[in-house]
Amino acid sequence: MKNYKFLVIFMASLFSFNDIYGSSIVIKNANIFDGIGEESYEGHILIKDGMINRISKSTSLQGDIIIDAKGKIVTPGFISPDTEIGIVEIGALSVTRDDQSSIYDIGFSIHDAFNPNSTLIPWNRSNGITSALTLPRNTSSPIGGLGSFFLLDSKLDISSEADIVMIGRIGESGSSSRSETLSLIDDILSFASSLNKKDISSNKIIDEIIDDSAIASYMELMPRDVVALYRLMNESLPLIMKVHRASDILKLLELKKKYGLNLILMGAQEASLVSEEISASKTPLIINPIDNIPNSFDELASNINLAARLESAGITMMFNVARDHNYHLIRQGAGVAVANGMSYSEAIKALSSNVADSLNISKRGSIKVGNYADLIIWEADPLEPSSMPEKVFINGEDMNLTTRWLRDRYIKDLDKPNTYRN
Amino acid sequence: MKKIYLIVFLIVANLSLFSKEPYESSYEPLPYTNTIFRNANIYDGEGNEFNDIDLIIRDGKIIAIGQDLPYSSDLIEINANGRWITPGIIDIHSHMGVYPAPGVRTSSDGNEATSPVTAEVWAEHSIWVQDPQFALALKGGITSFHVLPGSANLIGGRGVTAKNVQRNTINSMKFPDAPHSLKMACGENPKRVYGSKGQMPSTRMGNVAGYRKSWIRAEAYLSKLEEYEAKSDEAKEMGYRPSRDLELDTLAGVLRGDILVQNHCYRAEEMAMMIDIAKEFNYKITAFHHAVEAYKIADLLAENNICAAMWADWWGFKHEAYDMVQANVAIVDQARNGTGCAIVHSDDAIGIQHLNVEASKALSAGLKAGFDISNARAISWITSNPAKAAGIYDQTGSLKVGKNADVVLWSKNPLSVYALAEKVYIDGALAYDRDSSYEPASDFDVGIINPTKNRIQE
Repeated sequence: MKNYKFLVIFMASLFSFNDIYGSSIVIKNANIFDGIGEESYEGHILIKDGMINRISKSTSLQGDIIIDAKGKIVTPGFISPDTEIGIVEIGALSVTRDDQSSIYDIGFSIHDAFNPNSTLIPWNRSNGITSALTLPRNTSSPIGGLGSFFLLDSKLDISSEADIVMIGRIGESGSSSRSETLSLIDDILSFASSLNKKDISSNKIIDEIIDDSAIASYMELMPRDVVALYRLMNESLPLIMKVHRASDILKLLELKKKYGLNLILMGAQEASLVSEEISASKTPLIINPIDNIPNSFDELASNINLAARLESAGITMMFNVARDHNYHLIRQGAGVAVANGMSYSEAIKALSSNVADSLNISKRGSIKVGNYADLIIWEADPLEPSSMPEKVFINGEDMNLTTRWLRDRYIKDLDKPNTYRN
Repeated sequence: MKKIYLIVFLIVANLSLFSKEPYESSYEPLPYTNTIFRNANIYDGEGNEFNDIDLIIRDGKIIAIGQDLPYSSDLIEINANGRWITPGIIDIHSHMGVYPAPGVRTSSDGNEATSPVTAEVWAEHSIWVQDPQFALALKGGITSFHVLPGSANLIGGRGVTAKNVQRNTINSMKFPDAPHSLKMACGENPKRVYGSKGQMPSTRMGNVAGYRKSWIRAEAYLSKLEEYEAKSDEAKEMGYRPSRDLELDTLAGVLRGDILVQNHCYRAEEMAMMIDIAKEFNYKITAFHHAVEAYKIADLLAENNICAAMWADWWGFKHEAYDMVQANVAIVDQARNGTGCAIVHSDDAIGIQHLNVEASKALSAGLKAGFDISNARAISWITSNPAKAAGIYDQTGSLKVGKNADVVLWSKNPLSVYALAEKVYIDGALAYDRDSSYEPASDFDVGIINPTKNRIQE
């Protein structure tokens, strides 16, 4: 009987690997936080062809595989908007880092460096992160470097959206005045907006454009850089600016208005001092809600109540973490934000739909019909870091939640010598 | 009889006054707030959980824990009403004060990275007492913390244990009668810092040679010192006292057992090697810090009575931190029938504010690994065990009658991310009260954004 059961599970796993798009899955009796509404609701979710096919609050749904969530919380797969997943394996080992370029600057893309076999992927996935925005290191230009979006499904056939954001920074540097940096950003953006409706179809034409521009020549821009600036303006690419000081935030809001930027502020430890202006400009923020350390003179107003204060100003938030590798700790940050006054539903949105909406990632980040089935069934409260996913679905596929299994070598078969342990 | 005691006391007091050493603690507690907590849930730091129970603190000490304790008029009565009480949280690995916020070059005083052995430096001589991180840690329930030099050096200098009270001198924060520690470091950091200067050590074998050479010098110094100390008073007057060496004073202190070794070490085989070095020179390692691979040698640590101070989950920032498993803390704790000494540490100004949640994550991973570990036991990872490693367990780290009344009243079960420290008592005095309008602050916090407001006031 036992063996028979095992066989069924084995067959089912074969199914899920080989025939995922043929079979349908129903998650029944879920307590659904959909990433949209203020309250959760009891319901059933039908997954078909990798998508959320139906959601029912009352009638039970039919499917090939039925999973009873037994009232547990189901959320969208969480999206981490500020990571190095796939391009940095070990921080201090430069040979494992693919996050910088010595040739390209504004147009530097990390997309093709992504390693779907990175150990960070199963680790973050098993902790509830189903997709991530991966960003390069700061470039020498105050705006520049392109980030890409990746699904954390560990497939060599990578699912991604390449080069969907540009990054930048303003603040204390220790060498030059931030006034210089702001002028430089202004000049670069002015050059970028001059590209509007220009023909940039060949590198030869771009070379001429560069030669005609003092700032482009001075910065020794390459054709890729110019194309990136063109996209920034003409495709409304989100520009994620790392900034903390309140006065710098206001300067960036001016530039947003002047050039019609799709601006996102990251860090923003002093955002609460200018929350009305941020709110009025409808600028989303990526903050680390657990970071209340005045790490620099730009962050003197940093405060554990930041998320709650920004919520009351009606500002859209996403979360990041202070340290590398554990990008899933945005959950802990969200929990701390709630402990300090943020509403639970806004915290869930900050981990899911706010990221998808702000980064223009379509059909992800919320539980609704027609979206990809990136879903998590949680043991308990997802904002308690001690609570883990029971099941993670990416594109409707029931993902393996095993991480590097070193642990079991040291808790199982301890009577055996290391040589004979799995 | 009483008189004799009094005389003895006076003599001892006089002697201690006479022999008062420089740099000694001048700590005085805040005014006592004698209190009875009613109907509390308690994790006592010794692995016990009590429900619906009372606790009395008076004159700085834990006086009683029990059902329906009698009220007396000198006590403030607080109905905990099912809220949770723990001992004050202790962080065995902090760089507050030596790496203060803001993290600017001019206050970066944690690593004397100019020579691989700097046993002569003391972390307390670097501490900036106005570091705003202390007050933030207090709001996370931290009542005592151990400040260490950084890990650039093989032997980095002395660490110090402090009470988390805002003071204008470090001596008035120093935990009375707490031993010094000696910071040692394995692995990548020392060999990177000195190897990159073309200097020894540039390899792990160079590291080990460096420790051993230092201990050989320390042994020789100590034997001269002991030879001198063994002499009669007359002979002492005749002969010369061996000339004092600051560096070797510290190392000899370790060999005498007066100074506790806190050893930064990630890899299993390096920790095992450090144990061998300790045996060669007959000293004791109190705790390995960071110890990402402690789970690989958990039995060895338990057998040698060495604690491991670990993160719940940080990893991957360097190669020696690559083999992280979240059950590390639990595996160390459960080694040799639960005789292991596991500590959850922060090494971080954010982490120190949430050590209760870090312990919670480590507990959760332990339960998933199949261990039977109670919530109350997990609280010992951030209370009694770090107190043992800091050498202050006789005074604090658990809610035992007679110990210092270092107490935290939490809004919820402290293993929840939603739990906030509502009241924090240090030596029976209210050091933080979430209900009061008073906001803990250093001078740095005052008037720095708005001239009339605290930095974090709205």
